[in-house]
Amino acid sequence: MGDRFYLPEHLHNAPPFLKILKEYRNVIPFPDHLMEHLKRPLPVYFRINTLKTSIDSAKKLLEKEGVEFLQTEVAEVVKVTRHDHSRPLLSYHLGYIYPQALSSCLPVLALEVNPECAVLDLCAAPGGKATFMAQKMSDEGFLVANDRTRGRITSLLANVKRLGITNTIVTQGRGEHLCLPCTFDRILVDAPCSGQGKYRIDPDSGTVKHEVIGKTNLPAIQKALIKRAFDILKPGGILVYSTCTLNIEENEEVIQFLLEKRRASLMPIDLPLQGQPGIISFRGKEYDEQIRLAKRFYPHEIDSVGFFIAKIVKGAPEKATP
Amino acid sequence: MPRLLRERQRKLLLDFFSERFRFPRQVFDSFEMFAFSRQAFLVRRQARRIDWPQRAFVRCGLPFARNVAGFLKPTTVFVQRFGGHARKNVLPLNLETVTGLCRNGEISLPLLSKKVQVPGYVIVSMDRHFLGVALALEENRLMCRFPKAMKQALERIIP
Repeated sequence: MGDRFYLPEHLHNAPPFLKILKEYRNVIPFPDHLMEHLKRPLPVYFRINTLKTSIDSAKKLLEKEGVEFLQTEVAEVVKVTRHDHSRPLLSYHLGYIYPQALSSCLPVLALEVNPECAVLDLCAAPGGKATFMAQKMSDEGFLVANDRTRGRITSLLANVKRLGITNTIVTQGRGEHLCLPCTFDRILVDAPCSGQGKYRIDPDSGTVKHEVIGKTNLPAIQKALIKRAFDILKPGGILVYSTCTLNIEENEEVIQFLLEKRRASLMPIDLPLQGQPGIISFRGKEYDEQIRLAKRFYPHEIDSVGFFIAKIVKGAPEKATP
Repeated sequence: MPRLLRERQRKLLLDFFSERFRFPRQVFDSFEMFAFSRQAFLVRRQARRIDWPQRAFVRCGLPFARNVAGFLKPTTVFVQRFGGHARKNVLPLNLETVTGLCRNGEISLPLLSKKVQVPGYVIVSMDRHFLGVALALEENRLMCRFPKAMKQALERIIP
């Protein structure tokens, strides 16, 4: 394949993200396109909150406010092509819109919630996915939105309130040890991650923007979260594990861990955006064949934040509850 | 922990929304009402299917009314979501008037007392968007009761 993933000489002592990209050159499709794509700013998307307004009515108000946008593959999401960020939007204050990456809506679509469901969002703050789930449930059923940190809960509460949601109970606790008095039909684990899917490269200096290098053992936290979530899932219930990172250790390896520890099966994911299959072989390690059913969404293929999504059922796949 | 409202307290709130704004009572049928702090919250009935975790609990549902100086006031978020059901004391205003209301905090509106019952809270709408509540007073006075962030947004809509 050769070194298609060109790394300029001055970046040979590059920060981890660029090194990771270099290492992943064989698993990322068109890696040189990705490199070019990351030099562009992240596009802005608005999700329309159909609990408070119709899609048409929200679009009309956005147009009136001078926002130009394009419809995306997801009916509720528009891509903003022009918007004066210095002007506050009435649409926002009315709770008609939620600024949210297109790919960030995909785990919710994969979870297939409905108004009959008992749903848990284990790492819910700031609430983009939790509020979209409430919307997809027509604000019926019930949703427990949990997060660990008080500071992040504040933004979750503000968003649940602004979007006018009534079916949500907000809780605060460590997801790994969360003790709730019931089990759930659907659980979303949008795990804390290194966020590599959001990184951008400064076109002038070639350095990575938004990169956070910490010492937290993220895979250990992610494994504990997914195991706990699986244990409080009803038999036949669906668990979606997602991250906004490309890192295999935080994605496929976490799923592999669950498959080894519990009787879990992966399910195919049907989404309006095309993704790449999960990776089953890397650095000499072989992962379970089922992991192919997971999806990787790369920034240059979907023009949004990179994402990893795996859909897991408790028990045999054909026994998933509707 | 929030306290489930007793039937008598629930009726009090339903009477208020029904008499002041002519909300159909069915709007509230699928909700439980809870009191927490000085606010009343609407929570979907299905959410009562579980015992809520006492230690981890932070909040439930949508705040829909609060007690302000002994009077009930609908919350902005409730009005924005459910305002379309109100049939009385809804005040449609144009953008210029709304902006003026936000900038000055209070305006004088000709014939206000003919359009809505004074004194009391009214629901303010603009182009069929339900913005929030204002306080209508005698002598055609209308006082803005929008949240600060919303007021700032509306003030800046017209440069």
